[in-house]
Amino acid sequence: MSFIQNTNTCKCSHLCSVSSNDAVSNSSILNGGIRARMRFHEAKHAVASSTFHGTLTSVSQNSTYNSGGEQVNANKNNQQIDSVTSNSLSNGHAISPADKSFVTLSGRSTAPLSTSVSTSGIVDGRIVSTCTEQFPKVCVSESRNISQLEQSTILPGTVGISRSDQLTVNTDICSHNRTEQSISNERNSRTESVTGPVSDSYGTMRTDQDTNPLVDECIVSRVDQFRNSGLTDSQGHSQTEQSVVFTLPDGSHLEQPTVFLMTDGRGIARSDQSSILSMGETRRISHPEQYTNSTTTRSNPRVIQRVAPLTGQTTMIPGQSTQSESSIALADVDPTNHSEEPLPPGWEMRYDIYGRRYYVDHKTRSTSWERPQPLPPGWEVRRDPRGRIYYVDHNTRTTTWQRPNTERLQHFQHWQGERQHVVQQGNQRFLYPQNIDIDIDKNNVHGNQAAIAGPSTSVVDDDDALGPLPAGWERRKQPEGRVYYVNHKNRTTQWEDPRTQGQETGIDEPPLPDGWEIRLTEDGVRYFVDHNTRTTTFQDPRPGAPKGPKGIYRVPRAYERSFRWKLSQFRFLCQTNALPNHIKISVNRQTLFEDSYHQIMNAEAFALRRRLYIIFKGEEGLDYGGVSSEWFFLLSHEVLNPMYCLFEYANKSNYSLQINPASYVNPDHLQYFKFIGRFIAMALYHGRFIYSGFTMPFYKRMLNKKLVMKDIESIDPEFYKSLVWIKENNIDECGLELYYSVDFEILGQVIHHELKEGGDKIRVVEDNKEDYIRLMTEWRMTRGIEDQTKAFLEGFNSVVPLEWLKYFDERELELMLCGMQEIDVEDWQRNTIYRHYTRNSKQILWFWQFVTRTDSEKRARLLQFVTGTCRVPVGGFAELMGSNGPQRFCIEKVGKDTWLPRSHTCFNRLDLPPYKSYDQLVEKLNYAIEETEGFGQE
Amino acid sequence: MAATRRLQKELGDLRASAMKNFTNIQVDESNILTWQGLILPDNPPYNKGAFRIEINFPAEYPFKPPRINFKTKIYHPNVDEKGQVCLPIISAENWKPATKTDQVVQALIALVNDPEPEHPLRADLAEEFLKDRKKFLKNAEEFTKKHAEKRRESSSSNE
Repeated sequence: MSFIQNTNTCKCSHLCSVSSNDAVSNSSILNGGIRARMRFHEAKHAVASSTFHGTLTSVSQNSTYNSGGEQVNANKNNQQIDSVTSNSLSNGHAISPADKSFVTLSGRSTAPLSTSVSTSGIVDGRIVSTCTEQFPKVCVSESRNISQLEQSTILPGTVGISRSDQLTVNTDICSHNRTEQSISNERNSRTESVTGPVSDSYGTMRTDQDTNPLVDECIVSRVDQFRNSGLTDSQGHSQTEQSVVFTLPDGSHLEQPTVFLMTDGRGIARSDQSSILSMGETRRISHPEQYTNSTTTRSNPRVIQRVAPLTGQTTMIPGQSTQSESSIALADVDPTNHSEEPLPPGWEMRYDIYGRRYYVDHKTRSTSWERPQPLPPGWEVRRDPRGRIYYVDHNTRTTTWQRPNTERLQHFQHWQGERQHVVQQGNQRFLYPQNIDIDIDKNNVHGNQAAIAGPSTSVVDDDDALGPLPAGWERRKQPEGRVYYVNHKNRTTQWEDPRTQGQETGIDEPPLPDGWEIRLTEDGVRYFVDHNTRTTTFQDPRPGAPKGPKGIYRVPRAYERSFRWKLSQFRFLCQTNALPNHIKISVNRQTLFEDSYHQIMNAEAFALRRRLYIIFKGEEGLDYGGVSSEWFFLLSHEVLNPMYCLFEYANKSNYSLQINPASYVNPDHLQYFKFIGRFIAMALYHGRFIYSGFTMPFYKRMLNKKLVMKDIESIDPEFYKSLVWIKENNIDECGLELYYSVDFEILGQVIHHELKEGGDKIRVVEDNKEDYIRLMTEWRMTRGIEDQTKAFLEGFNSVVPLEWLKYFDERELELMLCGMQEIDVEDWQRNTIYRHYTRNSKQILWFWQFVTRTDSEKRARLLQFVTGTCRVPVGGFAELMGSNGPQRFCIEKVGKDTWLPRSHTCFNRLDLPPYKSYDQLVEKLNYAIEETEGFGQE
Repeated sequence: MAATRRLQKELGDLRASAMKNFTNIQVDESNILTWQGLILPDNPPYNKGAFRIEINFPAEYPFKPPRINFKTKIYHPNVDEKGQVCLPIISAENWKPATKTDQVVQALIALVNDPEPEHPLRADLAEEFLKDRKKFLKNAEEFTKKHAEKRRESSSSNE
């Protein structure tokens, strides 16, 4: 399983997610000190199967921490509560609100924990936080009371507790430490003296039979610097002055949840309950050869000190006065030294034989091309049973394969922030409310509607913004008040409001004359059978049907171009290929992704065309459509979770997603893409919307359309600009030194690619540059994502043949998948800026006149034309983003009135030529937004 | 590597031209994507010292511009405390694949010689520069004396 979800749903998760910066900065200071005096008991009845381990760390503010033996100082404790509590939260150390949990305070008192955050106990300034699931009881004891503890003993100087039954445990305590420090660096005046040394102290705990050898990889801690920090208590702890070695226990205790790994500076770990006793130092020393490939052999716990200077991590070297000076001094020595953050402890920078920089993590014995950042608070590194490294976020109780960095966390936060809006957004999406029907088929539908208006108004009392129902529909209420919809035309009923489903277009057409029937050719083209004369025709026999020149589908071209028509074709295909019965998908909200993945992938692909019956476990409610809608929306948002590494936001800006070339960090990523392909196909098939769409180039790929240079602009404007420059300038004179080969970087690794065989030796010149640009375009649009795309398409195709989409262009596909949103034109207008126009220029007045007058679909398409998506940010147009951050909708005067409008989706800019009349503007705009290919944009 | 040939050529040209104000160009042979060198501005208060800069080229160079960082601390309105500098020639809007590193370096030296307080990275220094030029010059000179590397006459003829 690669998306390792934390299956253990801890009640404390909501608490854990609380994190505050202040807390973080505080926590950094004392982690070492406090930990040294904590001790935990694990109750015997701890839930054996739970996989969460709370790493218990507590934090105190500054030096108010009292040394053992002193009386409880109520005042101090009180002062500390805030910081303490939030600290433990920010660390991800679960605090359990469960009723049964107790904190035993030095054996003096036992106080039931309340359910509030104040569930951390403070004893003598020491704070304990715990997760009940594993630690229904927590005992805190002063360091001198060790002997009183029956179960497990944590000697002074210990740092954490970890346990696990099945999973590999690889607790990287120090990472919490470090991160906090780096944060506190900026905030705390004491940083230099304090954090330097502290940052050296870290520990790794592992329990895994598979990775047993790794146990030796131990950990270096240099707590001796605490002396200088002044942050430990006034008496100074002799314990903490020693090097703390965290040994990695054997797998022997795996079956038995235990508290272990409490070692003191001498590498002794003791637990009364089990035989976990690792002599860290001994082991470490006995296996120094493990690191022989390293420039430094880790034969003693101080190795880090030696590694540090090699990596240019000057802040890690005790005694260095300031970081900047030393880094400059080092600059001569190490030309690649960056003014970046220091490497986390245990990491080392090296070069491979090609001179490429990479990073070695001695703790996990892994390498990375990407420069590691210290793990954020609450994060932990672990290994799965197959020895693969993953990262646990105790804050959200989730896991990821990708080492978290600032950017990823930002994305994640953004993603999380969206969560609350997801369902709400879903309710605002629609395809074709009735008012558009009226606009389009005014002559036909209107008459019909009037005729049936009588019955359908029977429940209009609480009619809503969607307008009247389509012709032939009626809204009724069940005795218990539940609303349902009656389709008088085919005498069926449904729960879904037909106005929001986008399904109406097929059935909603005016009736055929008597004796006529609609059928589809093998290619899905609609034709009409006249049973009276036993003839067939592609010409729609209905009087209102558009006439005129026929297009490639043998129906009038004007009709064929309409999205409605295409959609009805598609719906018809879906309906005629529907399967009987239903398919039940039963999911838990907490494990929505996993549950859905298993059930969708275990089902035969064709079965996914059956009527969906979605159940959210533990929730009442039968799925008559509403639950499915919610499921599609929630799950579509879930798969976009940046921590799954499957998708990424296109150029940090908008809400469109593209496949993440680094998705391979997730070993099963192709399976997941296949799953997502199936899921997206299901959304189309069942006429549901998803939360967030993909980039236009991605849709084009789904439609098997050729990608052109302009497509690059929406995903990498910088790269695009350079290509345009090459295209537009004579390159023979300017020494570009370009060859038919290209590099790019994934997770820090540079990957070389020849655009054609022997491309390294073929020089790009004026004469062959068109060819070069073509190949570059192709490569740029597929680099690193080809396998994933194929897996996606394979999954998609197994549910809905990609053939069925051929009527559509990429923008229509987005509309179909995401639905439309009512666009607030006033908000749009308010948040639009102009270049070389003013808000009173006549073209601008005409433009807004057009926007106001036109229908929702046109508005959505216009927005899509300019911004690349038909969706408006949750906060409205003011939050419209471009490729470089916030970017308002912009209209610029460009060109002559014979030109078509152009768009720059990465800058949300419309190039609007100075047209001479309103009609001309409307004509050109219409043309531009409906022509998906070619000059409109190019 | 695709960027390598271009960079090798640029490096060769740069060394051959022996620019007076950009010297001691150091490139780790194994990693041509990172260069270091000393710039020697002509104008006071920076004409007393040498400033080490680092140029980092992306793998996609020349499709994407290089980044420049000061490794030597400098008292300058357009260079922030971390050594980052905002140079229009290598901004996303202005970058052209034909732009050469020597042009970039010359643009940088020009910026050092003549600060642009209108686009400051350090507003405090920009204000001082505009309002109290004397004080600014004095501070900058002291700062240069303290932090900048020494100029060796020989260094300008090297490489």
